[in-house]
Amino acid sequence: MSTRSTVYKGKTGQWAFVLHRISGFLILMFILLHIIDISTINFPNVYASIHRLYGNVFMRTFEVGLLFGLTYHALNGLRVIMIDFFPGVIKNEKRLFVAMFSLSLLLTVVGGVIILKPFFTGRV
Amino acid sequence: MALREKSFNNQRRNSTTMKRSKANFETWSWFFMRISGLVLFFLALIHFSITHIFNDVTTTTVAFVAKRWANPLWRVFDWLLLALGLLHGSNGLRFIMDDYIRTPRRRAFAKAFMYSLSAALFVVGTITIVTYKGTL
Repeated sequence: MSTRSTVYKGKTGQWAFVLHRISGFLILMFILLHIIDISTINFPNVYASIHRLYGNVFMRTFEVGLLFGLTYHALNGLRVIMIDFFPGVIKNEKRLFVAMFSLSLLLTVVGGVIILKPFFTGRV
Repeated sequence: MALREKSFNNQRRNSTTMKRSKANFETWSWFFMRISGLVLFFLALIHFSITHIFNDVTTTTVAFVAKRWANPLWRVFDWLLLALGLLHGSNGLRFIMDDYIRTPRRRAFAKAFMYSLSAALFVVGTITIVTYKGTL
């Protein structure tokens, strides 16, 4: 294997890595927040007032962003696992990235419509 | 021979004759990220689907949680998500800190802060899940 083949700067592998890192960091930040908001369950009034916020359109938009981060990180994680455990997969690394990225976009659009719809139909 | 070239040739020689190195902490960390990632793939996506897709987020009230946590299996599910999510996430943040925080002192402080915060939230989350007495 030449050294050239292990260099991926500026190629899809680099962008897959950058997106994986950013989405992972943001998901962790959400987990920290989420542990705290759930811990108020023993104070039902506090819990209710926090959870009402999740229904407003800004938080719903944020949840759609979370869905994209989650689906991308999950699917790209599968891609990383496949590359690590099955040596042949590296040849299709780029196509696999395009597939995973597109699939996460598709899931985000479908999920995003479901998440945002109640706000626009006024059923919140 | 230029130094750089020499060291490259040495590396090449080493890599062709190198035996499989002994597994250390980073090997287990790498392996843990793959296994926990695979488990979290299902746990996290199922959890998000239940709380945002199949139910609207505004219906995830105290009563909703009480009803779910009446079944101990959902408590196990949520606790696994808590434990694996925190471990996978804080280990990922450790990689990020190793990459971007250049001075050893700051890196040590950042990691100490991050480990303490994760441990504290793990305790808070575990207490929440285990001790909750449903108000059905």
